[in-house]
Amino acid sequence: MLYREAGDFKTNYAADQQTFPIKSERWLFWAFMAFAFFVVPFFIDDYWNKAVLMPLLIYAMAALGLNILTGYCGQVSLGTGGFMAVGAYAAYKLMTSFPGMDMFSVVILSGAVTAGVGILFGLPSLRIKGFYLAVATLAAQFFLVWMFNKFAWFYNYSASGQITAPERSIFGIAVTGPSTAPWATYLFALSILFVFAWVARNLTRGRLGRSWMAIRDMDIAAEIIGVSPLKAKLSAFAISSFYVGMAGAMFFANYLGSIEVTEAFGIEKSFLVLFMVIIGGLGSILGSFLGAAFLVLLPVLLKNIMVGYLGWPTDLAAHFQIMMVGALIVIFLIAEPHGMAQLWRLAKEKLRLWPFPY
Amino acid sequence: MSPAFLNFVEIVLNGLMTGVMYSLVALGFVLIFKASGIFNFAQGVMALFAALTLVGLQTGQVPFSHLINAIFGTEIHHWGGGMHTVFAILITMAVMIILAFLIEKIVLKHLVNQEPIILFMATIGLAYFLEGAGDLMWGADVKVLNVGLPSGGSFWWEDVTREWASTGSEYWGMYIDKLDVTATVIALILVTVLTAFSQYTATGRALRAVADDHQAAMSVGISLRTIWVIVWSIAGFVALVAGIMWGSKSGIQFSLSLIALKALPVLILGGFTSIPGAIIGGLIIGVGEKLAEAYVGPLVGGAIENWFAYMLALAFLLFRPQGLFGDKIIERI
Amino acid sequence: MNVQFSSSKISTDDGLSPGETILHVDNISLSFGGVKAIQDVSFDIKKGEVRAIIGPNGAGKTSMLNVINGFYHPQQGTITYRGEERRKMRTHIAAKQGIARTFQNIALFTGMSTLDNIMAGRITLQKRNLIWHALWHGPAQREELEHRAAVEQIIDFLELEHIRKTPVGRLPYGLKKRVELGRALAAEPALLLLDEPMAGMNLEEKEDMSRFILDVNNQFGTTIALIEHDMGVVMDLSDRVMVLDYGRKIGDGTPDEVRNNQNVIDAYLGVPHDE
Repeated sequence: MLYREAGDFKTNYAADQQTFPIKSERWLFWAFMAFAFFVVPFFIDDYWNKAVLMPLLIYAMAALGLNILTGYCGQVSLGTGGFMAVGAYAAYKLMTSFPGMDMFSVVILSGAVTAGVGILFGLPSLRIKGFYLAVATLAAQFFLVWMFNKFAWFYNYSASGQITAPERSIFGIAVTGPSTAPWATYLFALSILFVFAWVARNLTRGRLGRSWMAIRDMDIAAEIIGVSPLKAKLSAFAISSFYVGMAGAMFFANYLGSIEVTEAFGIEKSFLVLFMVIIGGLGSILGSFLGAAFLVLLPVLLKNIMVGYLGWPTDLAAHFQIMMVGALIVIFLIAEPHGMAQLWRLAKEKLRLWPFPY
Repeated sequence: MSPAFLNFVEIVLNGLMTGVMYSLVALGFVLIFKASGIFNFAQGVMALFAALTLVGLQTGQVPFSHLINAIFGTEIHHWGGGMHTVFAILITMAVMIILAFLIEKIVLKHLVNQEPIILFMATIGLAYFLEGAGDLMWGADVKVLNVGLPSGGSFWWEDVTREWASTGSEYWGMYIDKLDVTATVIALILVTVLTAFSQYTATGRALRAVADDHQAAMSVGISLRTIWVIVWSIAGFVALVAGIMWGSKSGIQFSLSLIALKALPVLILGGFTSIPGAIIGGLIIGVGEKLAEAYVGPLVGGAIENWFAYMLALAFLLFRPQGLFGDKIIERI
Repeated sequence: MNVQFSSSKISTDDGLSPGETILHVDNISLSFGGVKAIQDVSFDIKKGEVRAIIGPNGAGKTSMLNVINGFYHPQQGTITYRGEERRKMRTHIAAKQGIARTFQNIALFTGMSTLDNIMAGRITLQKRNLIWHALWHGPAQREELEHRAAVEQIIDFLELEHIRKTPVGRLPYGLKKRVELGRALAAEPALLLLDEPMAGMNLEEKEDMSRFILDVNNQFGTTIALIEHDMGVVMDLSDRVMVLDYGRKIGDGTPDEVRNNQNVIDAYLGVPHDE
């Protein structure tokens, strides 16, 4: 009875198609957003920002991108790390070449550059499918990381091979560089994520989303009803890479500030984001957030317990954590292959009837 | 013969032998894929895990010593002088069989009839688990594995090849690692044994039946689950061999499991279901990679070995999506 | 069923008047390796008619549909569709030119709801680009709602209201077939290809489906080419029947003509059919 849809009638198709068709769900969403935008910034400290909130927001963005490609369009990619690197390096080159550019533009243009690269590496998807495509995206992963390592132009010939973000601001408030306030980077990332999560929802609810899902569910039939595989697949690669590129740009500029490509954007990143999408739920916007939150919070929690509470050495805790993540993925796949988003849906079904069993 | 040509021959030979190493890992993939349709991403980590266990037993490490020390504040790490290599290998094999049994019991049993992609993801999870477990049991430091295989350059071969060069040219002979030669021989024996096993034993026939058609195999009374345990055990054995070879060559460390990723382009070339395909694919990748590194690498800054294999496989796929030995796919609707 | 479609958003008007040839197939031959699926077959489909293709299993019927909508490319012969001679073509372009179809083995998008499946049928009719979609509110939503209204007509017509939001993977066989017909109809096709629309159905479901096919033909004026094994259904529904056997055409004409054609009786019908 907490969660009612009885009496919540729809009188036109627009109301029937809205994102949160049930009133209580709509309220919950806006309350949560108000909390994230207007309450959290006042209480945020550096630890929470760096350890929890920034990675959560940035990985949610990357997971959103990968979910568009893998969850909606059915094309498995193991190249997410490589595409994040493209976003990061595009941001670095933009920031150093055009010092006057504001940070919003930097992030969005970095996404656009990554979208271009994504289309390039998406071309093989027109000929090959499934595992074969997954291996093809590995080519992107290794090639891109190698490229950023080998050509000094990308890191402006710095001796260390690292790239470091200079200070850039938005509305006169620094959001990159060494002297940023936690609330500023947080609100910056949150705003971008909010806008683009909404865009992702819009893209997936209409014709474009349906053509992606048609390709995912049965590509031959999709083509026969008039979906152009070229347009559908390449647009999925482009938009997915756009999101992943923005995530990469923020990961470098707003979050870490200074990175080395093999360390920051190795194959482990690709797997991490893929896990987020699987655990969260393939083909679900909400799932991207849940998956990212789970895999960001879990290590923090484990570390706090094992190192902080039990006093284990950190390397031991790290091994234990890798093991736990692996086990959890297997457990999730066995218990609920459709991810946390499905669990949420099931919970809602239960809540709808609560406290009556039927 | 001119030194340039001899250099070329040396690169090709080394490439072939690296290729054999890739084939060893790819072989494990093919076995499991044939029998269960599972693309076992954990094959590389299984090799790492096997090698870690072997070294641990050989040198007499106490498993989980770090964990035990952390919990109980003790200071244990070894239980004496270790054991003979042969015993260590046998016990490691037993561990791999137990592992196969557990994987079937805990993971695969619950995932029957799921989509291939789900099973694939599950093996990625498995890979992470084994990686963490291996480190937790034996520690994450780089270990040296020595099971008494010959290693180092062959002087005999260096002398022989020096004779081949035209007189007066500056050529110092070819470098061939004895370990690579040993690996090649062992790989050949392994493939022969596996082929004989699948051709001439009842279990082998059952394996092939399952590979052909699960339902039909079950209907004539073959237990799918037993077959899976057997196949994963064999894959564990192949992983052990690969782990010994790679471990002897470059030490036992995490990067070993990345070599498994190199098996993927091998599989794409050779096909996921063909044992000869895995061998030939491995050789092509090995040789291609070494040649590219030697002749193209210097032009673009080197270290292209990291991605060349994938690009090669990708380029290959674009022209032959069905792989080297696959039939042309006729799509139906 | 007496729905008035005078103010209908569904239309299949293509500028041809009834009786004109919409599709002409000339001397088509198709083979896979050494297997000859279709050998030198010619036939035509006229605007507004129900055209049946019958024949034993493996006679090349589905291959013929696949040739018509560009999924297979014949080695020889030409296809003239709406006055335009076609060479090699991609299926999605055939779809844009008004050829829609259903499949022998249901090919629905199992991860999507009934509504989304039928909406997907209108992909060729929706024009708004990515930027509008990203913004949603405004033109993209307006377009979406217009198409939703049209799709609701189809849902209404095929009596699918109760399963509008059910994922199609969960539907029983007969309903799946109906959803698939809905998806094909949603494209407002000029030519509708139905591959065994009644295979595996019970009598009641067959009657329903026959009624839907006739209604589509009568009310929307859609030209229909169908493959079916149930002779009773074929003879009742269709205006003209073509018979294939081992990839060759062995008979063509009205149901009566075909029924009395000795070649057809020998190859397929066996004993004369009593109706």
